[in-house]
Amino acid sequence: MTTAPQHAYDSYEALVEDYFEKGWTDGLPIMPPTPEKVAAFLERAGLSGDEVLGTVPTREVTCTAQQAAANAVMAGCLPEYFPTVVAAVRAHLHPKGNCHSTTGTLSGAAQAVIINGPIRNELGVASRAGCFGPGFRANATIGRALRLVIRNVCRGIPGFLDRASYSTPARYSFCFGENEEASEWEPLHVQRGLAPEQSAVTVHSLMKMVEATDFTSRNAEGVCDTLVTNIRANGIAGDSWLGEDGNVVIVVGHEHHRFFNEEGWSKADIQQYLWPRLNAPATSATDRMARIGKPEGILIVAAGGAGMGASWLLLPHLALAITEPIS
Amino acid sequence: MELEWAGVPSIAIVHEEMRGSAQAIARVSGCPDYEFLTVDYPWVPIAIWSKEECLDLAEIMAPKVLAALTGQS
Repeated sequence: MTTAPQHAYDSYEALVEDYFEKGWTDGLPIMPPTPEKVAAFLERAGLSGDEVLGTVPTREVTCTAQQAAANAVMAGCLPEYFPTVVAAVRAHLHPKGNCHSTTGTLSGAAQAVIINGPIRNELGVASRAGCFGPGFRANATIGRALRLVIRNVCRGIPGFLDRASYSTPARYSFCFGENEEASEWEPLHVQRGLAPEQSAVTVHSLMKMVEATDFTSRNAEGVCDTLVTNIRANGIAGDSWLGEDGNVVIVVGHEHHRFFNEEGWSKADIQQYLWPRLNAPATSATDRMARIGKPEGILIVAAGGAGMGASWLLLPHLALAITEPIS
Repeated sequence: MELEWAGVPSIAIVHEEMRGSAQAIARVSGCPDYEFLTVDYPWVPIAIWSKEECLDLAEIMAPKVLAALTGQS
């Protein structure tokens, strides 16, 4: 196994201050990545430290399991979270996950980590009320672990290879589960070819999050039309490198989901309704084409709590949403 | 509750989905047993209701409000 440099400190405070000084954190305190903890994380995932999880060729970066484990410890993960972090890192470092572009872009794109399958409930991943925000250790630390890997391994440091004009709070951590219990809808990972009992992570690079509010529609078509209007107000340019496989993620909220349930709309029904409307030619600067190559490129995820008549649109940066099984 | 404390007979109407939040406010206000009337779906917690929806809801809720305020519930 690769031997990482070791440092000794007189106190926790001294360690944290030195990590701040060296630029090894996201601006928040970290947990010490002791050799014992890193080893426990690797053992939990059944990985040797030198196992390669992915590379960023443009940056001469190779990410090993040991590096990912150290950052997962620092993020505050529990050992049982680490297989999920590994899957998220693998997904992000997939060539079409496009780490170099999505973490260096002026637009400040972030990574949405979406968790499916039985592990959501085993780890306590929030998928209902408040699931995008603070208060849930699994959500907060799994998302943060990926971001620390991006910073400390992939060299996505503001002012260095991260050139975001503003960046976004979602870059501290953005992780949530799909509320698979909300309906009979096929979960995201099953739509993408995995078995229901197989837990999985989908990493989607988002350039922008847009809330699609609709307090007036009382049926599925009305909600879909609102989604179309809001996506087309922003447009999706598409990209020849990504080809026909581009994605947009639509997180369907509780109050909108009701109408789909009542009228028996499946995710495929929504995809078929939205796709031609998104790809229709632009009619004005605020009604632009949202170029998605295939209906199944529209990824529908159920999440969120009751109350707001809103769904969220996670508009893509230059990457595909990549789904990885959790081993 | 504040209206009641000011001497105005009152009853709060909350959506069933917000019952937990309303009970939490009642608890921190020192009235853990405060009673509410609740509205459930198809009326959504936050909405721009049509005039017809408002009238339908009023027709259902008005007798309940009256009964609660006059102690007949």
